Amino acid sequence: MTELATIQDKLPVAQGKTTAMAGQYLTFTLGGELYALGILSSKEIIDYGNLTEVPMMPVFVRGVINLRGSVVPVVDLLARFGKGATPIAKRTGIVIVETINDADDGSTQDLGIIVDAVNEVVEISQEDIEPAPSFGTGIRPDFINGMAKRNGRFVILLNVSKVLSVDEMATLSKVGHGRELLLDTEAG
Amino acid sequence: MSFDEQMRDALKTFVIESLELLQDMEDGLLGLEIDPEPSERINAIFRAAHTIKGSAGLFGLDHIVAFTHVVESVLDTLRDGKLNVSPELVAALLPCCDHMIELIQGVSDGHADANSSLSAAARQLLDGLESFLNPEPKQAMTAVQDTSERLESSGGGIVDSGNWHLFIQFGENCLRDGMDPLSFIRYLATLGEIVSLTTFSHAMPDADSMDPETSYLGFEIVLNSDADKATIESVFDFVREGSYIHILPLENRIPYYVELIESLGEENAQLGELLLKSGVITQRELQEGLNAQQAQIPQPSARIGEILVDQQVVQQPLVNAALEKQQQIKDNKARENQSIRVDAERLDKLIDLIGELVISSAAASLRGMQSADVVLQEANASVISLVEEVRDSALQLRMVPIGTTFNRFQRVVRDISKELGKDIKLVIGGADTEVDKSVVEKIGDPLMHLVRNAMDHGIERAEQRLENGKPAQGTLSLNAYHSSGNIVIEVSDDGGGLNRDKILAKAIERGLVQAGAALSDQEIFALIFEPGFSTADQISNLSGRGVGMDVVKRNIAELRGVIDIDSVPGRGTTLKIQLPLTLAIIDGFLAGVGDASYVIPLDRVVECVELPVDDHRDYMELRGEVLPFIRLRQLFRKTGPTAKRQNVIVVEHLGFKAGLVVDRLLGELQTVIKPLGKLFSHVQGVGGSTILGSGEVALIIDVPTLIRQQEHNPFPG
Repeated sequence: MTELATIQDKLPVAQGKTTAMAGQYLTFTLGGELYALGILSSKEIIDYGNLTEVPMMPVFVRGVINLRGSVVPVVDLLARFGKGATPIAKRTGIVIVETINDADDGSTQDLGIIVDAVNEVVEISQEDIEPAPSFGTGIRPDFINGMAKRNGRFVILLNVSKVLSVDEMATLSKVGHGRELLLDTEAG
Repeated sequence: MSFDEQMRDALKTFVIESLELLQDMEDGLLGLEIDPEPSERINAIFRAAHTIKGSAGLFGLDHIVAFTHVVESVLDTLRDGKLNVSPELVAALLPCCDHMIELIQGVSDGHADANSSLSAAARQLLDGLESFLNPEPKQAMTAVQDTSERLESSGGGIVDSGNWHLFIQFGENCLRDGMDPLSFIRYLATLGEIVSLTTFSHAMPDADSMDPETSYLGFEIVLNSDADKATIESVFDFVREGSYIHILPLENRIPYYVELIESLGEENAQLGELLLKSGVITQRELQEGLNAQQAQIPQPSARIGEILVDQQVVQQPLVNAALEKQQQIKDNKARENQSIRVDAERLDKLIDLIGELVISSAAASLRGMQSADVVLQEANASVISLVEEVRDSALQLRMVPIGTTFNRFQRVVRDISKELGKDIKLVIGGADTEVDKSVVEKIGDPLMHLVRNAMDHGIERAEQRLENGKPAQGTLSLNAYHSSGNIVIEVSDDGGGLNRDKILAKAIERGLVQAGAALSDQEIFALIFEPGFSTADQISNLSGRGVGMDVVKRNIAELRGVIDIDSVPGRGTTLKIQLPLTLAIIDGFLAGVGDASYVIPLDRVVECVELPVDDHRDYMELRGEVLPFIRLRQLFRKTGPTAKRQNVIVVEHLGFKAGLVVDRLLGELQTVIKPLGKLFSHVQGVGGSTILGSGEVALIIDVPTLIRQQEHNPFPG
């Protein structure tokens, strides 16, 4: 009941966006910014490597990796945010995230996201969560579930189902691919 | 597991089995008319109906029992040869089959009792059968009345019928031995009621030569008793020596024993034991029969059934019933041995695991190659060959003959030809051709479309056929065969063929083709696969709406297959579907471009040649022909140093050859296909991915879409 009230209180400020719930989060660094994912959607963390590129895909789809016999697509989060490709360094890792596809009868798909470094698992309480600002973070506001205060700095709580929406990414790749082809044709 | 759950499980099995049996029944019925020796078929159909009736009875599904009983009776008269196979009979029985399917599906949906609309439909169907059952209804009526009367009287206490028939000729010396025949008959009366007794005195000599101490009389007794045969026989234990005693079930009780034999458990398959169990013979009679059989010199030739009949201990119909039961038990046993039911999911899991095993063993072998350990390499090699064998036999598990899918069309063709008023026969070939279960499941719908189309548009009306000098009966054939790692399914008709000009005109009208474009026949025929394309002048119930052929093509493409059309005007059309044998594993050819590896399906690869001096043209000469090629490095935007000598892999699609330029040829491999998923669904030219022995993911090149993409967009990168 209190939670419901909180959401309603914050709705006008949050401009209709869902606010993140309290709970455990996995924090990671990417492009100097601190982000967090709900612990329940994070499956595992692996080292970056052995990635196979898939042609004709936008830059934010890095390719696919072999995760113990399954082929898992890897998304470059920084590129998805429109900030250019993530440079690969020693500590670069891949977080395997489970996404639920609502459009396709709730089937789940595993996706990997490239991160500069994985930090820690933290407990974030409801009072530490602020609604996302409508601008200023440099990424699309609907990608953000909320901002969590932690050690005097803000952690961006990502909305996994939006950021890693397979439908949206597939559409984007198709459109991007078409535009590329068009450019190619003009160039040719 | 509670009793309810057990019942539910059992009911589920009943539904599955009954539906299978009904399918068999339908197949049998459809083949009945053309079979020159239909008796085996009729038996099979009868057994199916009988089994369903029996199992339905176990579950107390009385409406199914009642309906099936009538069908079974008709089949029984057919089996006895009292009824002949006729198209009308088949036409009457087929809807009954359908109705039984409905009833059984009703059970699986949870309503065990027949609702009234079903019953009305059932009544109509049964009325249709009635005429076959009683060709002379008057006589049958009286017969029925007769039995009912008799039954009434037996119920009323005035017994006029018995259940045992005894023939007794006492031994000549029995009186001398102190045995009075009369006392035995009196004792017999304590077991039940003697309904009638006839004395035979024909053995009695003339008075002067008669010996008063010798027994001459014979008796025929009809006994009504609840006692079993062995008990009755035991009455005469003291006089058996030298006497002639036969105890037989009364003629009108035979059906009861036949039923008893049919309902026996299945553990004893010996004829004698079946008869013994049902109580029509006794242990002693069986033993004597067996002794007689043993005594035959040099070889026991007569069968125990024949001997028992000869010895008059049992009637022929009972032996027949037992023999049939014996056959049924054997059949059941044989079927149990032949196949076991396995959950398809478990099988898929096994195939998945074996796929992983293939990948891991390839990785192990790769490591072995890198080390100098020869023994390890040898061990790896034997593991790999074993794993390959395991994989092949695991894939075999999923293989089913395409015949079951084809046979379903017998009915479809029959029904549709009736609907269209055309006379069309279906010819099936290559029914034994085996194909992966997943392919079989998905090919049904496209085939249905093609068959309907061929019947509706392809095959002309009878008048027109005769005019064109063709037989009035149209022929549709379904054929399947294996061809270089693929299964080919052909749907062909002997109809009018595709109208090339009409298709072209329509395509121009729809703006699919530029007017005046020079197209080959193949290209024009392929236009019918375009969405919304139909040349039918009239839209019929079945086809002609222009929805379908594009769906067919898409469905087949999803199965990694291709479809071709071959048509001769006035002669007919053949649609040829080429499908991979399995969807899970392909034979591939591995090639390297830059730092990445790609797999090209081996059945697409024709040959490999070296790229001649690179003059930046995208074609080369191959034995006097022009071979256009695609530079995978450019297409896939690979950077890094180019190999000194590039190679060209010549691939083929629909008779069109093209080259793929790669850096390295890495040889053949068998590999498990991993779908790439929705995210990559639009990527043209990549059909999936696979995991190599090194753990690296390699993309599988989809040659047809790659070539098509090049044709539509010839200026990449």
